[in-house]
Amino acid sequence: MSRAPQAPLFVREMGLPARFGLYVLFSLVIAAIDTRYAALNEVRSGLNALLHPLRVGLAMPWDWAREAGGFFVTHGELHAENARLQRERDRLLILQQDRQAMAAENAHLRSLLALPNRPGVTAVAAEILQTAADPFSRKVIIDKGKAQGLTPGRPVVDGAGLVGQVTRVFPYSAEVTLLTDQAQGAPVQNLRNGLRLIVSGTGADNLLEVRFLDMHADIKPGDWLYTSGIDGVYPAGIPVARVERTEPPRNTPFAKAFCRPIGGVGQYRHVSVLNVQPPPQAGGPALSEATRSSAGSRP
Amino acid sequence: MNSRPAKPDKSFLPKGAELAVPPSRAKVIGLLGVALALNLSPWPDGIRWLVPDFTLMVLLYWNIRMPRFAGLGLAFLLGLLVDVIRGLHMGLNALAYCAAAFVVLLLHRRLENFDVPGQNLQLAPLLVGKEALVLTLGLIFGHGQADWRWLGGGILAALLWTPMAWLLDRLTGRPTQPHAE
Repeated sequence: MSRAPQAPLFVREMGLPARFGLYVLFSLVIAAIDTRYAALNEVRSGLNALLHPLRVGLAMPWDWAREAGGFFVTHGELHAENARLQRERDRLLILQQDRQAMAAENAHLRSLLALPNRPGVTAVAAEILQTAADPFSRKVIIDKGKAQGLTPGRPVVDGAGLVGQVTRVFPYSAEVTLLTDQAQGAPVQNLRNGLRLIVSGTGADNLLEVRFLDMHADIKPGDWLYTSGIDGVYPAGIPVARVERTEPPRNTPFAKAFCRPIGGVGQYRHVSVLNVQPPPQAGGPALSEATRSSAGSRP
Repeated sequence: MNSRPAKPDKSFLPKGAELAVPPSRAKVIGLLGVALALNLSPWPDGIRWLVPDFTLMVLLYWNIRMPRFAGLGLAFLLGLLVDVIRGLHMGLNALAYCAAAFVVLLLHRRLENFDVPGQNLQLAPLLVGKEALVLTLGLIFGHGQADWRWLGGGILAALLWTPMAWLLDRLTGRPTQPHAE
């Protein structure tokens, strides 16, 4: 078959409306597949791996702009900040020693009661590359992924409290759904009285809510909510939110409470992805070993 | 190669508008790539919803100027890529891009005869409508509540289309007024 030297005079192809109809059909099928099944995850993951260097590269000018802004800081400001950080570090070191002593005591008491050890936690530090431009949810892209051992479902925290959860993992990056996403929830406990609740995002930037609250539930503005750890996803004791106000039931049989997230959801650039090691099974060899080791280390 | 005389003298024939040299494919792809990079750039969180869809703006520009090269197929592929970039479910932007490109391809003979502000007036409903279509499709596919502030990005895109088309005209060597007498 010889190729024509120039384009054919009369092009034979489907009409524009027919082609448009075909593409609409393709799009709808792809959207349905991607919404209902996980078949396209590999494609998405591969494309994201290809896009990763571009993402990192495009974040650089913004970093430079930020650094250039921070360049003109006076010596006095730096000095004051340094002194403040030193004080903070000393305070944290004292707390850390206290925490170690308490952890040892806790392990000892748990061994006396034959309770399983609390799950251990390790952390991977990550940097937020960008916020995902998704009008339906609150997500960010971080610069750690499968290569660093991340898996979907991991809790993400910052220095202050819970930020969100890893939802999609790509080879070198991952997508974190923030706590403020309307489909995101976290099981929490009221620090004051141990009341167990579920905090959900609202889709607004700085607002969480407790949706189906009993009319007489003991929850007041100013209460601190910490993760309860009963879901097996979030380890216990991470600060989540502070109650701002409660709303008596109006049209529904349930009351509502509105809270403000404690972690800098959508504010900071650095977060930690936690890896929760499952607690050893009760009665299993791990427990007896842990008991033995803690018993052995007893003075 | 160059059939034009080196020194343009006073010809006795009336001179019409200068014919635009069609831009090379590399230029088309390159400018689309720049637009994609602008969309991929980490914009600050507070104004993320206001960032216009540069990719669609450049795509519609090429739909008008080079409808044979920038057709529905290119719109579909770009839409899928934008879905991945934005972390949306695949197919939402692909469908919206195809719909916008379809309207422009249907009308491109007419659009060609308008100057840039005239084209902008006719494209404005498309640019805003595309954002509305993505939000509606997301609702249909069950993504919960949509954040309707994102329509602001479409409105800004409609406002920015004239400067963008002017800039692309300059970059690709197209005369300002294609049918100026």
